[in-house]
Amino acid sequence: MATVDGRRSQLLRGVLDLCLLAVMGEGAAYGYEMTKRLRARGLSIVGEGSIYPLLGRLERDGLVETRRQASNGGPPRKYYSLSLEGKRALETGIDEWKAARDAIDGALDLATVEVMP
Amino acid sequence: MIEFIEECRREWKRLGVPDPIANEMAADLTADIEEAQAEGGSAEDVLGDSLFDPRRFAAAWAGARGVTAPSTPDPVGPSSPTERERPRWYRPAAALALAATVCFVALAAAALVVGRHGSAVAAPVSRVLQGPGSTRLFGPGRASLPLRFSMSGPSFAAPVAILMVGLLAVAIIGLCLAVLFWSPWFRRDSNRRLG
Repeated sequence: MATVDGRRSQLLRGVLDLCLLAVMGEGAAYGYEMTKRLRARGLSIVGEGSIYPLLGRLERDGLVETRRQASNGGPPRKYYSLSLEGKRALETGIDEWKAARDAIDGALDLATVEVMP
Repeated sequence: MIEFIEECRREWKRLGVPDPIANEMAADLTADIEEAQAEGGSAEDVLGDSLFDPRRFAAAWAGARGVTAPSTPDPVGPSSPTERERPRWYRPAAALALAATVCFVALAAAALVVGRHGSAVAAPVSRVLQGPGSTRLFGPGRASLPLRFSMSGPSFAAPVAILMVGLLAVAIIGLCLAVLFWSPWFRRDSNRRLG
């Protein structure tokens, strides 16, 4: 039986690419900016590994487009934004997630839990 | 933090990542970490638990981007020294450590049987082994090898003492190596040194 943290970690790993696509949908962002957007929604990557390999895979798969752009007073950063393919993948992924979530909710809602003291 | 970036660079070089791409990844990483630190955070906020395994992180990133040389091994494979490439001396040293551990057990058993008479288990055995003259190991009437050996007197004591000292020396070295090779500290440190 997975621990609470372990299950949360596994769940997040399974949908972290989807979450990245979703935060990119709000506008182009560089790596750490996406980390901050995720954190603002309650998703901390600490313990989940870094998002960089995932961004690399999304880029290789053509789901994101990149460009170098100067940031606010800092060095030029690599900004990631959704490609057309990425938007389709996000749309499909959201549908899949909702379907899975509803199915799991259906199963868990049936459960009756009595914890003896 | 510079050390982490340098470790990544070394791994990218080993994997055959072209320099311009390696420079780009290093620059992105540096900028993000510096921003996190400037905001009062830490490198862990950027890297998560990858902070503790730069080689694996670097290999995973390069592999995910598809920028490693074709001849390099799977970059996102396991990174612990037990699964990835190891120094050439690792296997012999590990074997020595294992053998020494066995020697230590043998030494302890010998000390129990031969060295002390106080134990309820050791005393009868010692009486048999250290009796006058020689001892027949197998009972009479059986068609077995009549092994005979002497376990008392100066001719026995000196070789046994030398043997025990030798076993003890090998055992101490082996235990040190075993602690070194199988400790979490060594594994983490190996990840930094390999390559």
